Amino acid sequence: MFTRKTPARLRTAASIALGVVFAAAGCSNGPGSGGGRSFEFWSFTGINQEAAVQEYERANPGIDVRLSEVGSSVETAQSLTIGLAGGKVPDLVLIQGDDMPRFVDQPHNFRDLREFGAADVQDDYLDWVMSQSVAEDGSIIGVPTDVGGMAIAYRADLFAEAGLPTDREEVGRLWPTWEDFIATGERYTAATGEPFVDNAATSVFYQAVNQVSRKYYDDEGELVYAENPEIRDAFELALRAVDAGITARQSTFTEGWSAAMKQSDFAVVAAPSWMLNSIRSNAPETAGAWDIAAIPGGAGNWGGSYLAIPADAANPEAAWDYIREMQSPQGQLRHFTSSGALPTTPSVYEDERLAGYTDPFFSDAPVGRIYTDSLLGLEPFHIGPDSAPIGQEFLNALTDVEQGSGDPARAWENALRNVEIAIGE
Amino acid sequence: MATTRLDPAPEAPAPRGPHARRASSRVRQGFAERIAPYAYIAPFFLIFAVFGLFPLLFTFYIALFDWNPIGDQTYIGFDNFTRLWEDGRFWNAAGNTVSIWLLSTLPQLMLALVLAHLLNHARLRYAAFFRMTMLVPYITSVAATTIVFAQIFDRDYGLLNWLLGLVGVGPVNFVQSVPGSHLMIATMVIWRWFGYTTLLYLASLHAIPRETYEAAAVDGAGGVKQFWHITVPSLRPVIIFTVVTSTIYGLQIFTEPLLVSRAAPLTCGPARECQTLTLFLYEQGFGVFEFGYAAAVGVALFVMVVALALINYLASSRIRSER
Repeated sequence: MFTRKTPARLRTAASIALGVVFAAAGCSNGPGSGGGRSFEFWSFTGINQEAAVQEYERANPGIDVRLSEVGSSVETAQSLTIGLAGGKVPDLVLIQGDDMPRFVDQPHNFRDLREFGAADVQDDYLDWVMSQSVAEDGSIIGVPTDVGGMAIAYRADLFAEAGLPTDREEVGRLWPTWEDFIATGERYTAATGEPFVDNAATSVFYQAVNQVSRKYYDDEGELVYAENPEIRDAFELALRAVDAGITARQSTFTEGWSAAMKQSDFAVVAAPSWMLNSIRSNAPETAGAWDIAAIPGGAGNWGGSYLAIPADAANPEAAWDYIREMQSPQGQLRHFTSSGALPTTPSVYEDERLAGYTDPFFSDAPVGRIYTDSLLGLEPFHIGPDSAPIGQEFLNALTDVEQGSGDPARAWENALRNVEIAIGE
Repeated sequence: MATTRLDPAPEAPAPRGPHARRASSRVRQGFAERIAPYAYIAPFFLIFAVFGLFPLLFTFYIALFDWNPIGDQTYIGFDNFTRLWEDGRFWNAAGNTVSIWLLSTLPQLMLALVLAHLLNHARLRYAAFFRMTMLVPYITSVAATTIVFAQIFDRDYGLLNWLLGLVGVGPVNFVQSVPGSHLMIATMVIWRWFGYTTLLYLASLHAIPRETYEAAAVDGAGGVKQFWHITVPSLRPVIIFTVVTSTIYGLQIFTEPLLVSRAAPLTCGPARECQTLTLFLYEQGFGVFEFGYAAAVGVALFVMVVALALINYLASSRIRSER
């Protein structure tokens, strides 16, 4: 690059310049370019925001939505946290419900959507879903995009072999309570010798614990997980399911779980509405063998997401236009018919396109009706900043027992101790 | 070298007359020449300062805070370190790290020694081909390797348990038991690194004159004797080197434990069966966003690496003085 005749001064200057360029290359991130109504959008994978973005771009020519599917919902929240701390943020971001409390706790990182008129449309959404994105100072930091109404997906063909009823109404009547659910599992396992449900930690504990009236926090935001009998009951329920020997001991979303689903090694899995897509893509060869029944214990919710605009967004108005158009009751209804995400806007629950929606993969089950029914009459509970790690420790303690290494008699005490260490109380 | 010491003394009169211009330009050139070497090495040190030294010092700083990346940052002194000292999860992670490191390093170095010795053998056919293939595991992505191994070691649908079942051994829960998961991760580390280490050993073996082996063979020494009396002693310095590098890699092992347990990735199993120190750091930093506490784990890890490097240094300098 340099010959010996290059003046020494030039060489020196060039070397220094090179060094500075190298050093600077790593930390340059220009401000979000592109004005007007174009904006940058971070979403997570597996939720098919691509479809919604394309629909929006078709309806609004000239608008360029730069969508990044960052990773899983957890990874997206991680990237957002790092971005907020470091100053590199998108204009619009999708945040999963479980990650929301941490962000709601620090509302200064987000635009208060009331500036854009969110207060006017607030009543379009389910109260208890909307309230989870309202900060203590009253600012609205997120608009709910979907909820995870709960149900049980079951294999009608395997039920028939085990001598159980196969009609979804009759199946729902088999298990008004979780005790009945376990009893049905014992009947199934006795008849076939095969496990009944994929696992006890998520399919029993995680469902039951989302049907309570008070979860890990009380309504004032005080931690009550240790003395709350509803949590203890849900935990004991899962231990009973393990003890009954009806679980396939396959943790949700693992390779073994997918393999077991493909090979029909369990007959039942707890399935919030978004789980239907997982089942469909994991085990396409089981199409038509599945059906969907009501969940034991009545209404409940698992999952759901929010759209938020970071405080430093370069194009907040463009992002808000997108929210207003795509998350309106009609917008959510259209998204339901294309992707199956359950709307958070109860005004469309009676719409024939939703209430009459059936899914051939699941034996033409009226999924729209089943999932919206599971949301009505739901008792909301307070979700706090440590809800996710607390839930994770309870799940871990149960999985440990289910895998055969944990002692069931000491599982509850272990879980409480781990929660205390985890949240630093 | 009078030309390089041209700076006039401060009280010396300024040069005048026809030589003045030449002298001053030589002064400037001398200055440029003197700083040129620093400029050449500057890029590395600038990059190191920005991406190495600054993060390191900043980590020490953050470790003194209760640091919420999107909220408040409160100075709490050494509280993070006292909490770390009392945290069973930290010691569990430290134990797992050492256990996985021991399980992987010793067999890996043995295997590489034997392989290098065999590959160095004069009569081996297609030696070049075998040497080439040694590097295949090393250049395969860790993530891909881990996913394949996780499937092989699966409890219910894995190849290994199927083979064990053929000989009547019940399914082993590799992923969610302490010995099983450590064995599994160690196997992955061995698989990834044995070829690399073998080639390192092989390179040093080439420095040994072939006549040494021939003379030994003439004296009646068999392959095993040659291995212990020629190969191993002459590889001593490179063995020390591989022990040092594998220690540093072993303390930082991250990808394999993160990817083997899909049920609870951040803890590598529901009861932290194979959570290593770096994974614990990651869990605290990016799982629950306790940056201050995670930084304290980082500082502890730093201290451990420095201590081990020092021990390795002392051990290797002793060996040098013995020779």
